[in-house]
Amino acid sequence: MRKTFLGGLLALALAAPLAAQTVTIDTAIGPVPLAANPQKIAVFDIAALDTLTALGIDVAGVTDKVYLPSLAPVAAKAQVIGTLFEPDFEALVVMQPDLIIAGGRSSTQVAALSEIAPTIDMTIWGAGLLDQARARIAAYGLLFSAQEAAQGLTQTLEAKIAAARAAVAGKGNALILLTNGGKISAYGSQSRFGWLHTEIGLPEAVAGLDDETHGQSVSFEFVAEADPDWLVVVDRGAAIGAQAEAAVATLDNPLIARTAAAQNGRIIYLDATPLYIAGGGANAVMQTLDEIIAAFAAEVEG
Amino acid sequence: MSRLWLIPILAGLILISLALGAASLSQDAGWLLMVSRIPRTLAALLAGAGLALAGVVVQQAVQNRLVEPSLTGTPEACMLGLLVVTLIAPGMAVAGKMLVAAASALVGMGGFLMLADRVPRQDPMLLPIVGLVYGGILGAVATWFAWSADLMQYLGIWMLGEFSGVMIGRYEWLWSVALLAGLLYVLADRITLLGLGQTQARALGLDYGQTRALGLVIVAALTALVLVTVGAFPFVGLVAPNLVSRWRGDNLRANLPVVALLGAMLVLGADVIGRVIRYPFEIPAATVFAVLGAGVFLWLLRKAAERAPHG
Repeated sequence: MRKTFLGGLLALALAAPLAAQTVTIDTAIGPVPLAANPQKIAVFDIAALDTLTALGIDVAGVTDKVYLPSLAPVAAKAQVIGTLFEPDFEALVVMQPDLIIAGGRSSTQVAALSEIAPTIDMTIWGAGLLDQARARIAAYGLLFSAQEAAQGLTQTLEAKIAAARAAVAGKGNALILLTNGGKISAYGSQSRFGWLHTEIGLPEAVAGLDDETHGQSVSFEFVAEADPDWLVVVDRGAAIGAQAEAAVATLDNPLIARTAAAQNGRIIYLDATPLYIAGGGANAVMQTLDEIIAAFAAEVEG
Repeated sequence: MSRLWLIPILAGLILISLALGAASLSQDAGWLLMVSRIPRTLAALLAGAGLALAGVVVQQAVQNRLVEPSLTGTPEACMLGLLVVTLIAPGMAVAGKMLVAAASALVGMGGFLMLADRVPRQDPMLLPIVGLVYGGILGAVATWFAWSADLMQYLGIWMLGEFSGVMIGRYEWLWSVALLAGLLYVLADRITLLGLGQTQARALGLDYGQTRALGLVIVAALTALVLVTVGAFPFVGLVAPNLVSRWRGDNLRANLPVVALLGAMLVLGADVIGRVIRYPFEIPAATVFAVLGAGVFLWLLRKAAERAPHG
């Protein structure tokens, strides 16, 4: 549906070369018309920065921290324009960007940012994360006249997804846990990590978990009772750079040790930053897929 | 009123708590009880008892029944200390964190006492309000710290006391609560005298400053112990001592065990309710308690207002 819609837009854009100045791209709040090929871009969303970088698009302004090591070279060339939560409005006014890309943690600032320059909300959130990731890649491709790069990136992504599907097939069910300061919460198929279940085909060890932002607060007994074949662990502390209590220490307890996952060495500690901070960024998604493939491919079927 | 009727209720709660959990007891029940259920039940009991006792001491030290550690900026001060530790030495051992938390709680409470000595005594509601404002200011500083260091969710975890992470090896610090409770029991008469105010306590031969300082060190330690192991529980220190004092009068030596018992019961009860409402998921015990505790607090405030004109 969305693809045909985008395809239609694409056809329209191509059929009307005189109107090529404006393109309508798909954002988190629906289609938005924008001047094509903006030059000076300020980005307040790590997933967006990640996808733009994957498409080879240069940005002029980034947040003080870009979290992903792979984005450090991009950040080094760009100007700092505040944090994910608090834009530096003065710096932005001086900079006069052609376009501001917000999303996720900065989505609350969209209205304020719009006063300075055209701002789009490219939030990627909740269920259907991979669909949103695909839509963003297509949107940036259209906006920056980089359709070929976007298509190439999408193909690479689809190949990774297929490989991950193959790797997890028939290897048992899994429970996704987020650890945070010694406590744990579980994430279901409708959550922001749910695409591991829905798109990669990893069966859920516990069905029907709600899609709360910070997961369902659960006890270690809950995990012991669910007894998943695999535990997929995201360490929130590691994602935001805090090292107070590592996920490994949190899960090092007798209740977890009794699960099939722990006894068969099937606890996967995913790199938390691409999932938690840059969730839905093209390279970030592929990095997570690589980790999944590596962890599951080592296992023999059964 | 006899305190004995509390015992069967407590026993019932303990049984429910032991029987209730996300994992089924059908196989290896003994192991599960040892590793998870008994520690969790004990942690709730100890935390509740500790907070209730801390409430008694604070109330005597400032001669106001509407005050408790969470209304004196103590948890906020604790958190400020913990945040600083997390920033400077994130790998510090639990004992070290506990010490820092207790020390900062003590400093925070010292600040509150300085305020309390200057607040007019006529209106008993004034002091808790001053405490709320003071705690709000400390909390704002802590929030600012956490915000600028990306530690907001850690703050959230400390603010919201709960027991889902409790199991063998993760709650043992709370046993110190029992030790401190014993110490308080020894000091009970002196702490009762504290409640008479400086002049009268001195006339009765009490070293007022020393006793008050000792009491506050105990409160700081209790608050820090509970905060670091399971998080903050507002209102426990207010509700338990006040209810007991309404039922049984003010013989502190006789009351202390009942206050501890009631605090333990209330917190365990809140934890049991939090485990049941969305079984097998959890609602933090502090959330459950805060809802109930806030109601009792309002009721006590009204009672205090009714009594105020008569002194």
